[in-house]
Amino acid sequence: MSDGLSVELAHYLSVSGIIFGIGIAVALSKRNAIAVLMGIELMLNAVNLAFIAFARLGGNFEAAGGDPLAGHVFVVFVLTVAAAEAAVALALAVLVYRRRETVDLDRITLMRW
Amino acid sequence: MDMEHVWLLPAIPVVIFAVIGLFGRLLPRGGDWLAILGMGAVTVLAALAIVDFQGDNIAVWSEEWMKISDGSRVVELIEISTYVDSITVVMLTAVTIVTLMVMVYSVGYMAGDSRYGWYFALLSFFAAAMLTLVVSGNLLMLYLAWEGVGLASYLLIGFWWEKQSAAEAAKKAFITTRIGDVGLLIGIILLWRGSGSFDIQEIIHHAESGGFDQTYLTITMLFLFAGAVGKSAQFPLHVWLPDAMEGPTPVSALIHAATMVVAGVYLVARMLPVFDTVLIARDVVLYTGLITAVMAASMALVTSDIKRVLAYSTVSQLGFMFVALGVGAVTAAMFHLLTHAFFKSLLFLGSGSVIHATEEQEVEQLGGLRRKMPATTITFTIGAIALAGIVPLAGFWSKDEILVAAQEGAPAIAYITLAATAVLTAVYSTRLVLLTFWGEPKNRSVHEHAHESPPVMVIPLLILTALAVVSGFVALDGVGEALGFAGGIGEVVYEGAHGHAYALNETVAIGATIASLFGIGLGFIYWWGCAARAEAARNWAPELHALLVNRYYIDHLYQATIDRVILGLSGVVGWFDRRVINETGVDGSAQGLGYFGLRLKFLQTGRIPNYALAMAVGVIAIALVAFGTN
Amino acid sequence: MSDLNFDYALLIPEFILVGTAILIIMADLFRKELGLGRLVLPAIAALGTIAAGAASLAYIDDVDDFANVIAIDNYTTFFRVLFTVVLLVVVVSGYEYVERNIRHTGEFYALLLLSTVGAIYMAGARELLTAYISIELLSFSLYVAVSLAKTNPRSAEAGLKYVLLGGVASAMLLYGMSLIYGTAGSTQYSEIAAAFSGGTSEYGFALLLGLVLLIAGLGFKASAVPFHMWTPDAYEGAPLPITAYLSATSKAATFALLLRIFAGPLLPVIDQWQWMMATIAVMTMVGGNLIALQQTNIKRLLAYSSIGQVGYMLMAITTISDASASALLVHVAGYLITNLAVFSAVIAFHNRTGKEELDDFAGLAETNPYLAMVLTAGMFSLAGMPLLAGFVTKFILFQAAASGGYLWLATVAVIASTISLYYYLQVIRRMYLLEPARGESGRWRLSPAGYIATGTLTAGVFLVGIYAGPLFTVADRAARVLALS
Repeated sequence: MSDGLSVELAHYLSVSGIIFGIGIAVALSKRNAIAVLMGIELMLNAVNLAFIAFARLGGNFEAAGGDPLAGHVFVVFVLTVAAAEAAVALALAVLVYRRRETVDLDRITLMRW
Repeated sequence: MDMEHVWLLPAIPVVIFAVIGLFGRLLPRGGDWLAILGMGAVTVLAALAIVDFQGDNIAVWSEEWMKISDGSRVVELIEISTYVDSITVVMLTAVTIVTLMVMVYSVGYMAGDSRYGWYFALLSFFAAAMLTLVVSGNLLMLYLAWEGVGLASYLLIGFWWEKQSAAEAAKKAFITTRIGDVGLLIGIILLWRGSGSFDIQEIIHHAESGGFDQTYLTITMLFLFAGAVGKSAQFPLHVWLPDAMEGPTPVSALIHAATMVVAGVYLVARMLPVFDTVLIARDVVLYTGLITAVMAASMALVTSDIKRVLAYSTVSQLGFMFVALGVGAVTAAMFHLLTHAFFKSLLFLGSGSVIHATEEQEVEQLGGLRRKMPATTITFTIGAIALAGIVPLAGFWSKDEILVAAQEGAPAIAYITLAATAVLTAVYSTRLVLLTFWGEPKNRSVHEHAHESPPVMVIPLLILTALAVVSGFVALDGVGEALGFAGGIGEVVYEGAHGHAYALNETVAIGATIASLFGIGLGFIYWWGCAARAEAARNWAPELHALLVNRYYIDHLYQATIDRVILGLSGVVGWFDRRVINETGVDGSAQGLGYFGLRLKFLQTGRIPNYALAMAVGVIAIALVAFGTN
Repeated sequence: MSDLNFDYALLIPEFILVGTAILIIMADLFRKELGLGRLVLPAIAALGTIAAGAASLAYIDDVDDFANVIAIDNYTTFFRVLFTVVLLVVVVSGYEYVERNIRHTGEFYALLLLSTVGAIYMAGARELLTAYISIELLSFSLYVAVSLAKTNPRSAEAGLKYVLLGGVASAMLLYGMSLIYGTAGSTQYSEIAAAFSGGTSEYGFALLLGLVLLIAGLGFKASAVPFHMWTPDAYEGAPLPITAYLSATSKAATFALLLRIFAGPLLPVIDQWQWMMATIAVMTMVGGNLIALQQTNIKRLLAYSSIGQVGYMLMAITTISDASASALLVHVAGYLITNLAVFSAVIAFHNRTGKEELDDFAGLAETNPYLAMVLTAGMFSLAGMPLLAGFVTKFILFQAAASGGYLWLATVAVIASTISLYYYLQVIRRMYLLEPARGESGRWRLSPAGYIATGTLTAGVFLVGIYAGPLFTVADRAARVLALS
């Protein structure tokens, strides 16, 4: 508890890191636009977890005149933005689907090089 | 005119450029009279200034241009400043007179061109940039003007851009000189970094007081010299100048013989006190000049295009000037610069007269023009003799100076090579005159419609001929004094430690004259009449001939390098993207291989997952950097 | 939270922009009922933009930091004015294009106005959450705006690519922010700076990871190599005015944010990020300019060219100092003017011909010498030719890097910028050297708006190139806010 990150915090952060990694893996490997979007949501949730963990358990906070509330507020905003992002991305996916009848990212390559 | 007001000199042509450029279509005759009047005014003003100039009254004028400050402290103050000393005076003389002559001549030469007015606008722009370059007192302004003359040269070489070769030549000239310019810019920044100033005199002072680290300064001066090498077409960046002959001939006379190409000489002369503090840099100047002089002179021997011969000759003569600078003889270099400006622009304008009359510039198609074009023949021949260095024409005095300096300051081998080059100079001058004006016409139809050029072209030729004859005399004490310079050429050009009064070295002078006469004799032997001996010589050593005709294969080498290295480099980037990121990383199925494999240059797959993967790879890469450096 | 007595008047420019956006959406809704002509929406947008710009000018030297959330100071004002100018240019030079190629013009203008608000607050943010929200306000507007050309299938594809990759980048950025929040204990710049100046050894790993992800996320927004891949596609697919806007405001806003963060809260940990920044600066300069050599589409060419420019700007962040901060602001301003001049010309060209391949520019010098001149000036300025804006601003930038002890970086930049000359010349060569396509050799004129936009901007390119003193002074005053020593 005294030096560096506390054990509990480290656990939270590990989970958060693992989720973030899974999110990246999903976003990178899936060929379906919707699935990529799911990966991004996972990454954002990992971020939320990290923020909450820091806000609740961050060891450095008292020293720096820390601001635990900021972490909580951040999470609320991230959730909101994530919802907006899903809305925009899905709308665009639908737009592409209407024209091309696919959301397979390997086939959406009108523009390249 | 007061020396403080030399900024007026470039200001006048700038205004004229703007007026003709914007309203040229509305002006009678496209505004050529305006350009000539303006240039005439500039010449008169410059003459007044020069008369007013005494060897010791160095004039400085400066005005704040931009200021970078943080809060209260001025971090960097960049000024517009002019600096006039004797080197400037020589440049001003050459630039103003030749520009005026070329403008007048162009009235005849360019008559009827569809972009006649624009041509004069460009000439004015060039004059403005060149004059700025000459009078500027700080390196930043010099660099601006340096790029300005480069741009003018680009536009004028490519003036007839409908011709593919002209456009290509313009591009080649621009890019080749830009390579040197990068060096110059780096050099300027390095000088600024070391001394904290762009002001040339402050930098010189800083260097002379030992303010620079030796190694640092050596590298810096080599970078700076790279700029001079590019602009003055020295080996290995000389390749652009012969191609630049695609431009209108008066342009070649002005930019590619008398003014812009000597900017490199001017720069080195101006910065020579700094070069002096690091001796290796000066040796580089010396040997670059020497190699260029020999090489270009030998190529001039076999070239069949009249303008290209003159171009190689220019390259070679610039090499002479760099040799002089390399041994520290600013006086000799600037003197040769002045005389060369006159006789070489004379030769170019003469060749322009031939081309104008015959629409032919291959010497193989010319010959026998002496009867049809007497004035051109006489003036051109006098120019060629001046180039060959026969007493008492201008080239004799200045070349003699360089040879004396080389004898004193350079190793024997360099001196001998230089003297041999002087012989070569005489040979190719003779060859050019004989093949063009003497002998029998080689192409009847060309000869038929040949005619003497109109007076507006002949008069500048005559004036330049007069200058090519007499400009060497300023070296003599008596003439120098009459013009107001007590010490002759030494005072005109360079006062202070490096200067010395002109003194004819009889041994060298006689030796050089004999060498030149020998060269002329050789020229006659080989090319008099039907040039059978030249033919025989060619067959005797075909490999050598091929080597010279192919310009030592340097152009080929560059083309191959560009093709392989630059395109190869972008190919490697493409390969990495395709193979490593796309196939190895993502597309193990190799399904894309056949499709993408054909397309070496295509870098982007268009697929979102690949893009995301590139980002992930990027994160890993910078993370490695981050953890590696901490 | 106790004291909410801020100087709200300082936010008037943004109020005006948002109000105009709402007004435009309303007007668009009732367009038919009100019988509005086709010029009404762009006129409202232009007027609102001018009003906002004028209002920002009224608050020069006024300062309020709104409890460390958004600072309105000279730095913000500098970018405010810049962004409103960009917006005005895009509206004026783009309205014909918008009229022809975009069905819901109201959305277009409203999104532009809103994204400009986001861009301004990116420059003004003094706190991570505000910075993040501003980034997303800008990005989301652009995700939609990119896909607005509904008749062009490329547009939707570009939008999808942009939003998905942008989502990944945002997540990285957020993760980085969370780690920085965790190590510093606060999201406010001033407190982060205070926490980091006290030593950071305890959190070495977390901090480094946070910096890596932060740079990656912001690198995406700035389109730094290797996070640039979306850029050419989005540029190509987007409606042209949006492409211009992407290359201008979106870039500049990211650098406004980068400069605030890296010259402020992250300055104490400069040793940790300097090499990372140098690495991507080099990759961006070299990569962008090399790949640009191979492009055949003017939008993609300009995309890679702008990537190259980003490399130079990243160099200024790497070598951060008072001189390079001010130089960066100068360069951003000069780059915006030049790039907009080029894009206005390309838009005018597209309005006439509907084409955007490089080969379509063949013989432009014959059919429209004026436009060819504008493009030539713009291209030469981008390449950094003297007497044009690009030279002065680049010179100051390179010089700042060199004198900051990063000579090798400046050398790379000079070389990269020499490479760039080649592809700019390719465009110029086509315009002057080649014959126009068959049947298209007739002369043509621009619309009045086209003349106004291109003429003003070209004059600006020359003005900055010849007399940059005032711009330096303004940039100086803006950079002083950052209080670098």
